[in-house]
Amino acid sequence: MAREIRFGFLVDLRRCIGCQTCSIACKQEWNVPVGRYRSWVKQVAKGVFPDTRKSFLPILCNNCANPICVTVCPVLASYQKPNGIVEIDPHKCIGCRYCMASCPYGVRYLHPDLGIAQKCNWCSHRTESGGQPACVEACPASARVFGDINDPASEISRRIAQNGVQQIKADMGTAPRTFYIGLDEMTVEVKAHGHELMHLSE
Amino acid sequence: MDSTQLLYDIHNGETFGTLIAIYFYLTGLSAGSFIISTLSYGFGFERFKPLGKIGIVIATLLLVAAPLFLLAHSGQRMRVWHLFVYLRFSSPITWGSFLLMLYPLNCVIYGFFMFKGQKRLTRIFGLIGIPLALMVHGYTGFILAFGKARPLWNSSIMPLLFLVSAMVSGIAMMIIVSVVRDRFFTKERVVNTDILSALARMLGWCLVFDLFLTATEMAVHGISHLGAQESVALLLTGPFAGLYLLLENLVGKVLPLVVMLTPRTRRAIPLLVLASILVMIGIYTMRYNVVVGGEYIPLL
Repeated sequence: MAREIRFGFLVDLRRCIGCQTCSIACKQEWNVPVGRYRSWVKQVAKGVFPDTRKSFLPILCNNCANPICVTVCPVLASYQKPNGIVEIDPHKCIGCRYCMASCPYGVRYLHPDLGIAQKCNWCSHRTESGGQPACVEACPASARVFGDINDPASEISRRIAQNGVQQIKADMGTAPRTFYIGLDEMTVEVKAHGHELMHLSE
Repeated sequence: MDSTQLLYDIHNGETFGTLIAIYFYLTGLSAGSFIISTLSYGFGFERFKPLGKIGIVIATLLLVAAPLFLLAHSGQRMRVWHLFVYLRFSSPITWGSFLLMLYPLNCVIYGFFMFKGQKRLTRIFGLIGIPLALMVHGYTGFILAFGKARPLWNSSIMPLLFLVSAMVSGIAMMIIVSVVRDRFFTKERVVNTDILSALARMLGWCLVFDLFLTATEMAVHGISHLGAQESVALLLTGPFAGLYLLLENLVGKVLPLVVMLTPRTRRAIPLLVLASILVMIGIYTMRYNVVVGGEYIPLL
């Protein structure tokens, strides 16, 4: 019996150089509005000068196995495909923003002109016909791996099997399907004060 | 080692904001005044009869106004009908779209029979309305409680806290309504002190319960996981401290509580009205603090 495809995403943080090429590739692929992002790289400085080091955390949708955004969407606009990708039906969404309020990863935004929620869907228009997401193709450091985690022979499965992998906020019970190698908890936890970020997004 | 500093991050913008806080506030007021209205026409406490009719009129009007704020908040207003066609029963908003239809409908029927003077039917629809009123406001607490990303919302006490604060703001509004009507819209211009002292005592005990729930939430969140601790710090020492400690709790709850539970001040009508206005401001601030404060802290 043919095994069903379940997509997964892996970011090898040992390789990430924080160049934001993924962010730009995503912006171009999806025409993401100004001030909104589907995929970006959080940057954190660690240590005291001169012993400092930058730490990078690429953030994108986890396409969780237990997606809270789908649970709370009142109009069935957010739904999960059998291959695991969580999609938003642009014709159903009413822009109530409940999915944005309940997503623990802050990866959704309201499109300012269309009035509907949007987010990363692992470039399903490419990946469902065998291609790679735009950010994966663009990454110059080969830090991003996309593939079928149900297939033990796929590169992503082998990399997950051979390395210690982590998820962001696994304790939320959302079962994220974006994995990281070398995730730094301190980098995850550092936050700006809300008002600074509000300015950033305006 | 401790010095980790954020250099760059993205925040995709506010989600619920002030419009939703106002919506929660109005449904709370509506549920509160509905329940006061049923005290006489549903449960037979004759003392509250003068508030029966005005209570139901106000409850209906507020519940007609409240969804307008939802509409203003929605990104795709012409698609509101999707809520009744594409149903996700795990989402509190789906529960709410039916409650927001049934509850005002029941309010109108109940009010119709009340003004017609048909006691038995009024009583029946009054009693049907009680669970509806509780649900229509309780579900708004569920909306926040299901927002699992935000520690300040994600609490099982939230629906109960919303119900109690709805009663608090509803009773305070009825005190003001009662005084204004008696003083300016009756021939005798005599304020019904009997009903006022009953409402004031009721408001006092609701405030006690509200403060107890608020303190419980703060205490438990204060020793819980990191995110919960951050949300407590936001309210107690952070940018929301003034709104939370002074306006919501001191001015909006503790001072009015003293007025309501002291027999001498309770009988001073201007003081009673002033305290009720403070309570209404305090509960609005509570809605704002919970909704906007809850999403103030970034997620990542």
